[in-house]
Amino acid sequence: MIRGALFRQRGKMLLIAFTIALGTSLATAMLNVMLDVGDKVNQELKTYGANITVKPKDSSLLSDLYDVEDDGDVIQTSYLKEEEVGKLKTIFWAFNIVDFAPFIDTGITLADGNQVKLVGTWFNHHLELPTGENLDVGVTSLRTWWDITEGSWLDEQTEGTENAVMIGAVLAEREGWKVGDAIFLEGPAGSCEAVVAGVFDAGGDEDEQIYAPLDLVQELSDTEGKVAYIEVSALTTPDNDLAKRAAQNPAALSAKDYETWYCTAYVSAICYQIQEAITDSVASAVRQVAESEGAILDKTQLLMILITILSLIGSALGISNLVTASVMERAQEIGLLKAIGAKDRSITGLVLTEILITALVGGVAGYFLGFGFAQLIGHSVFGSAIEMKVMVIPIVIVLISLVTAAGSLPAIRMVLRLRPAEVLHGSKA
Amino acid sequence: MSRRKMFLKMVTASLLRRRSRMLIALLSIAIGATILSGLVTIYYDVPRQMGAQFRGYGANMILVPSGEEKMTLEKARECLSVIPEDQLLGATPYRYANVEMTSRQRTFVAAATDFEQVQATSPYFAVEGRWPEGDREVLVGKETAETIGVKLNNVIELSYKPEDTYVKNTLNMTVVGILETGGDEEAYIFTTLKAMDALTGVSGQLDVMEMSVSAASEELENYVAEISEKNSDMSARLVKRVTKSETTVLAKLQSLVFLVTAVVLLLTMICVSTTMMAVVSERRKEIGLRKALGASDQSIRAEFLGEGMFLGLLGGILGTALGFAFAQVVSVNVFGSSITFQPLLLPITVIVSMGIAALSCLLPIRRAIEIDPALVLKGE
Repeated sequence: MIRGALFRQRGKMLLIAFTIALGTSLATAMLNVMLDVGDKVNQELKTYGANITVKPKDSSLLSDLYDVEDDGDVIQTSYLKEEEVGKLKTIFWAFNIVDFAPFIDTGITLADGNQVKLVGTWFNHHLELPTGENLDVGVTSLRTWWDITEGSWLDEQTEGTENAVMIGAVLAEREGWKVGDAIFLEGPAGSCEAVVAGVFDAGGDEDEQIYAPLDLVQELSDTEGKVAYIEVSALTTPDNDLAKRAAQNPAALSAKDYETWYCTAYVSAICYQIQEAITDSVASAVRQVAESEGAILDKTQLLMILITILSLIGSALGISNLVTASVMERAQEIGLLKAIGAKDRSITGLVLTEILITALVGGVAGYFLGFGFAQLIGHSVFGSAIEMKVMVIPIVIVLISLVTAAGSLPAIRMVLRLRPAEVLHGSKA
Repeated sequence: MSRRKMFLKMVTASLLRRRSRMLIALLSIAIGATILSGLVTIYYDVPRQMGAQFRGYGANMILVPSGEEKMTLEKARECLSVIPEDQLLGATPYRYANVEMTSRQRTFVAAATDFEQVQATSPYFAVEGRWPEGDREVLVGKETAETIGVKLNNVIELSYKPEDTYVKNTLNMTVVGILETGGDEEAYIFTTLKAMDALTGVSGQLDVMEMSVSAASEELENYVAEISEKNSDMSARLVKRVTKSETTVLAKLQSLVFLVTAVVLLLTMICVSTTMMAVVSERRKEIGLRKALGASDQSIRAEFLGEGMFLGLLGGILGTALGFAFAQVVSVNVFGSSITFQPLLLPITVIVSMGIAALSCLLPIRRAIEIDPALVLKGE
């Protein structure tokens, strides 16, 4: 009988299956997008640059003790070790460390006697970790807002860039430098001739500075193997109460809280782990970036959750509506069944089985359709695939079965209550 | 009875007599309309609301004097008049000077500012203690506080020696707050503008004005051009790090909401029309009977369409109201602010719902009309 109903009423059953497929795909797409939107937006927010800076522990204290000063600029007397920079990728949350670059700066004198700040860093540095992992890190991806007005980004991995530098737009204009020009740099511990590889417009103080490979600056300032500070860009979880308490003093937490905190990607936890990995360092969150990121992430997620709820309600009502309509349409058939002596229970079972089979077919098709929609959204908005979350499947299954049952049961009961004679007569229904 | 009256009577009678069926159809149209109006409202409101969130990154425009000469507060205010008041979230004046802390014989950078405005332009400044209120109260950056070992409520003596005199101006200040930002600001001491005037003996000068403007990047560029054009001695600049990143991320978020809206709308609308189709195709017998009685195809079509569109009208109005309520809930929960009703959305939602209702009626009606009435009535 079920087979008969399914095949003979093909048109109607197809319509139901189609609607259920649509509803399922809507639910699947929205749930998948909602669950992944946090990660995706977090990645996008990395364009704001580093959210953690790592400095040597006693930088200010030492300079204070010896009171070394030069035109208001405190001369740095303690450094981090360059060889330890790679350790950033060995902490518990190493996977969340997206990018980083060490910096060292020094004042230099140009050929015309002008004083300029020279900043040494990694542009696109190739790093081989003890773990066997290979990665490229540097300011090229940490300074996404820089406009390269002339030339191109420096890349240490290409030949002959040891003496190449990038100069700020304001400085380039003042000195009349162009890409390819050779410039003379006189540092505190040596001098050299450098070639301009690119001009950048950063819209800040950097526009009056020169950026050079780390090795070159270390040579000029006699600081081989040392770095002044490290900028780190990390994917973090927005802070909550626990994170705030932990940021003040991790030792004051209970063992359980400590573990939760340590194993969550809070910015304070990542800072703490960086301090553990790099000797005599202080890692602090750049509040400007860290805090706004948290706020924007929270808002986006909440927004998506609410939109998802709306579309879930929408698809649920849509499906149950159609199911109700299709059951009521079959009032005559049900009346006939009743007239020839079928029990209420068996009729309910029959109709319900039919609809659930249809729902199953529609649901499976809808799941894949919805997954396709999620990928469409992921690729066109973020340029990357939306991760397939396994937990979506049980949610969707429960939702669809509940919705179809809720849509059909009241309708079946209503039709059963009618007297078969009336239904068959067609006077009511 | 005139033709029109008869038509109206048939439409209303079928709506009233077949109450449960019609309720289902109405409900499904209302759901579609709710989702349409709710999501479209959110889609239009998100850039504005999200834009406000992005202001948490701090100032996105700065104003500096273009020459050697310093600017005055009045001059800066004059430049600001270019920006509409409701877009200007905050404008913070800054004046810097190297002041000496007498007890330590060390100089620090002192930044004089307007603390109320700082809280508007740099919401990420975290203060332990409280913000200064009077002119004898200062905020000390965390780094400086650690180096010189000052604590909350300590009194520090700041002095400044103007260039042309030999007498130092000295002020005793109470530390009421320690500032934590994770940036360069942690090395500064923050005072009020008045205190700085007293220290330096020169008043009304500013080094820079930081502004937080809630506007899209093209708009910001227009303001910058306008300010620089009107005032040759001033130059406004965009803080690229903030504006550029904001544009990128905001564009992504907007297209995310757009696509989600499009997908949800498409699927919901198809859902609505399948339900309508189911409700209408149920009435094949009725159509066959009417045809057998001699009704023209035209009049049958007109009546069903009239019914569908009436449902569309009702559902559309209902949906607009529900959708607005939904958007309001979202806005209040997510962004903590309410949204204004877009009057244009009512006609759009109603027209779309009526259109969808009419379209989804047409298909089953045509199929029923095409079939021989005898066959339909027989139930084959």
